[in-house]
Amino acid sequence: MTMTLDRDRLWEVSSRTIVYSAIGAALYGILLVAQVPIPGTTVSVRPAFALVPFFGYAFGPIVGFFTGLVGNAIGDQISGWGALTSWNWSIANGIVGLIAGLAPLYLSRWTNGSLRDRAIGGAVAGVIATVIGFLFTFTDLVIQAGNTFGGTLSFYIAVIVADIIASVILVPILVYAWEPVKAQLGR
Amino acid sequence: MNIAPRYLGRGSWLARRDPRVLVIIVALFIFTVLQVWDIRFLLLLVAIAVLYYRSASIPWRFIRRNWMVVFTFIGLLVVVNAIIGGGATGDITLDEAHVIFNLPLLGTPMSAESLSLAVTLFVRYLAMATIGFPVAFAVAPSDFGITFRRLGVPDKFAFGIDLTFRFLPSLAADFQTTVDAQRIRGYDWSAGAGRGVLTRLRRSTPVLVPTVVNAIAGAEDTIDAMDLRAFGTGRRSWFRELRYDWHDRLLLLAFAALLVAFTVLGFAGITSELYVFPFLLDAAGA
Repeated sequence: MTMTLDRDRLWEVSSRTIVYSAIGAALYGILLVAQVPIPGTTVSVRPAFALVPFFGYAFGPIVGFFTGLVGNAIGDQISGWGALTSWNWSIANGIVGLIAGLAPLYLSRWTNGSLRDRAIGGAVAGVIATVIGFLFTFTDLVIQAGNTFGGTLSFYIAVIVADIIASVILVPILVYAWEPVKAQLGR
Repeated sequence: MNIAPRYLGRGSWLARRDPRVLVIIVALFIFTVLQVWDIRFLLLLVAIAVLYYRSASIPWRFIRRNWMVVFTFIGLLVVVNAIIGGGATGDITLDEAHVIFNLPLLGTPMSAESLSLAVTLFVRYLAMATIGFPVAFAVAPSDFGITFRRLGVPDKFAFGIDLTFRFLPSLAADFQTTVDAQRIRGYDWSAGAGRGVLTRLRRSTPVLVPTVVNAIAGAEDTIDAMDLRAFGTGRRSWFRELRYDWHDRLLLLAFAALLVAFTVLGFAGITSELYVFPFLLDAAGA
């Protein structure tokens, strides 16, 4: 049994896809309340962020995209910022989940390997997805034309460093925890 | 722990509008604001946003903290931009700018133009946040699915949005139960304060992992129920029906007109130039 989906089932939209997407998004929105500040900076590591690459990696690109997009919008909604005010950041989160969900296409050695390999694959997919996905936040340069490139770059770096830390530590733990349950459920 | 979205504007004039109106107005207004660089016009847009916001009758005492977060976030964005800009703006180089002072310690020059830009950016973000608040507090959480469906999102995904809002209260309760259960076992969520980031992150796993795995494992019942009802095999009907009334149409027309007007003003060069405060130019000795 492999951790991730088969290549030909990546884009399937079933009731399972929709329910996992909704659970991922709701959990991401809820758990965003927990943040770990990095001492001496204004940046916080969000443990909940690890759910975006994890849901993508475990359940496919559609679930990953939905978890990131809707989960981030719901987090903004709960905080009062408004679900749509920072829509491009929500899309960036969605892209992270989407890219992590495409792991079987670019990390097949790991996704088809042992449990240890699959856990490492999850962390690697999380890093790749975070670095690429958050490039979308550079749309701030067009949307918020007053933002400087340096300002946008500094926010990008701060966010990806914090989110990579969360992904590298927590995605493998979630993979290790989910695999036995998945086998038990016969999925 | 109150994590679920709060419908604080319930019963207000804005909450009685078709929820699609609130979503469309955010888009129209953001595109309007993004074309304006003259703070005098931006203040007019802020005034419109405040009037709109007030029609949602969101009690201040419940969202004071939310506004503090917004002000802090916007302030941080603006300050970082101003420091990195180093006295210059997108159109004006440091040589052309009127430098007033250098920041202590950093030595970064601050010019009349960069300070005006910082204030302008702050007001722009403020206008957008103000118009965004009613979406957060004046739309019934159960209406989001049908709202996005009627705005063109495919049926299955609109249902996914609806399902997400339905899962929020139960998953938030499960999360709280997990935190309480771990506390009984001697786990303290905040005990890692003062330790390294990695230690504190690892300490979140006794709560994070059971919450996530239980939620996924528990989804089987929902999936089975949806499969038994043949989810996704045909066109879906929605219990809630949305219909624009004349208030909705008038509101949409007004915000669309605002967008058109400011687009024209922007192309005419009336609102598209940064307004530099004269008193700042005076301070720079210009």
